[in-house]
Amino acid sequence: MDSNNIMIQVKDLRKEFKKAVKEPGLKGSFKALFSPKYEVVKAVDGISFDVHRGEIIGFIGPNGAGKSTVIKMLTGILTPTSGECRIDGRIPTKNRKEYVKEIGVVFGQRTQLWWDLALRETYMVLKEIYEIPDDKYQARMTFLNEVLELDGFITSPVRTLSLGQRMRADIAAALLHDPKVLFLDEPTIGLDVVVKDSIRKAIQKISAESGTTVILTTHDLEDIELLCERIVMVDKGKKVFDGDLSELKRRFGQMRELNFELKNIDDSEKLCYKDDFNFSDDDLTLDIKGTSVNVRFNSDTVSVEDMLSYTLKRVHVKDINVKDADIEEIIRRLYLGGGMLSD
Amino acid sequence: MMKYLKLHTIFIKQDLKKLMEYKVDFLLGAVGFVLTQAVQILCLGIIFAAIPALCYTENGVVVDSWTFHEVLFIYGFSLIPKGIDHLLFDNLWGLGYWIVDKGDFDKYLTRPVNSWFYVLCEKFCVDAFGDLIVGIALIIYSLCAMPSDIAGAINWLRVIPVLVVMPFAIMIFTSIKTATAAISFWTKRSGHITHMCYMTNEFAKYPTKIYNTVVKTLITYILPFALTAYYPAIYILRGESFWSLPVTIFVSLTLFGISQLIWHRGISAYESAGS
Repeated sequence: MDSNNIMIQVKDLRKEFKKAVKEPGLKGSFKALFSPKYEVVKAVDGISFDVHRGEIIGFIGPNGAGKSTVIKMLTGILTPTSGECRIDGRIPTKNRKEYVKEIGVVFGQRTQLWWDLALRETYMVLKEIYEIPDDKYQARMTFLNEVLELDGFITSPVRTLSLGQRMRADIAAALLHDPKVLFLDEPTIGLDVVVKDSIRKAIQKISAESGTTVILTTHDLEDIELLCERIVMVDKGKKVFDGDLSELKRRFGQMRELNFELKNIDDSEKLCYKDDFNFSDDDLTLDIKGTSVNVRFNSDTVSVEDMLSYTLKRVHVKDINVKDADIEEIIRRLYLGGGMLSD
Repeated sequence: MMKYLKLHTIFIKQDLKKLMEYKVDFLLGAVGFVLTQAVQILCLGIIFAAIPALCYTENGVVVDSWTFHEVLFIYGFSLIPKGIDHLLFDNLWGLGYWIVDKGDFDKYLTRPVNSWFYVLCEKFCVDAFGDLIVGIALIIYSLCAMPSDIAGAINWLRVIPVLVVMPFAIMIFTSIKTATAAISFWTKRSGHITHMCYMTNEFAKYPTKIYNTVVKTLITYILPFALTAYYPAIYILRGESFWSLPVTIFVSLTLFGISQLIWHRGISAYESAGS
């Protein structure tokens, strides 16, 4: 690996929070007041990874896995308990003012724009904050305008924008100073399909044209499928997967889906996959609604061929199809499976 | 520094624009403030209607005394540094009450500006015109209404050193607010601590000598609001307590240093909020 090519380097990063433990009720509150007890919560528990220049990586994991905490340490908001992260050779919490010039940050849940300012004025303020020269500012505005279509609402105050407009405005605000790295924390949360689509296209275009490295956290699996060249998955503060989408599918994508219609509704009782094949709970879900049957199973345990012949021998079916694992299924299994998948 | 002035100017313009938009809100705020002040001044008037002057005695001997108009002047003067701090640096209140608690402090850390300056300059609190207008009105009225022997004795050159010290007096307010607001980085919320400390400035509106040792020490050295009000005001009126002016500069700088230290320690302890 060429070390010049590495944009973000995270080494054994840890963040612990002290949490006050309180017994329930008023009595507990009093006790906690006079002899407070703390327990240490390990929000991020030794995570390491590298990100290459220009890469778009998806940072995923269930709620409370430590994604946001990692992002907040990378952006210099939180100080790590131990470990190190360097972005383009810089340590976020050291010389923060210089460091943040190199990055752009968007928190989907929380706008960084000024509520009462018109959008155009917001960008003027940012121009001052980042000390962007006039000509560069003009060129950048034209580019962002084109990619994110800000024209329609650039004179409106931020508080009057719709969520979709606001998100586009926020992304533009984070990119005005042409940062090397863009952090997007759930950029498509709560948006409709059309807006999601336009935001994804914009992210792709920005990454392609400006060579911006993008780190994206999301719960939207389409974001991952369409945008991310690489996926880092965390759970309970630890990294559980790091690789590209095809590897994810190869490693965890043994799940197949069998869908068919029964000719005779009473036939459903004849299907005892679980007992006959000795499936574990994780490896099989059977869903029968009237005559339509949906079976998800692990094709490592039982081959597709065996499943098909078993089914066709026992019941008469109208229509049958086998589906490949989709990413949603993989993620669901990984989230439920938790730490045992660590490599 | 230019950058911060420019930023502050943008936000000041913005808040003035907002003022035009939310006229009723502003008017109600201003009326409320003027009423509060009016009631306090009325109380002073009633007390002074019954007594010739406010006296400080030691062992039954009158050591010092202040007339109604002198007290009114001190009261009015106290509103000036307080008002300027209120006008320019009001955003610190928000920090202790909700900005840190809600995790909104994140945005101040992701911009290439000093986080403290950024918080300060983001808001221009037009309500403070209430303090300033009442303060100036009281100063002018008390001077005009004062018996000519007292007013005539004032050496107006004394105003110059007071004006020099004024920025430091303002910084006493700002530093106390900063230090107490920064406690919220550890405790999530500290607005009430700020409020408690801030309210001791009410003592400073009256001659400091009338208080017992505890209060006197408190408002002169610990939360030194007396340095922003009684001492400079009485210096202008009588030329007394010149010593307080250099002390104000020293105390103000010390407080500023302490508040910055707490602020920067606080930022490393900041825990943001879950999203």
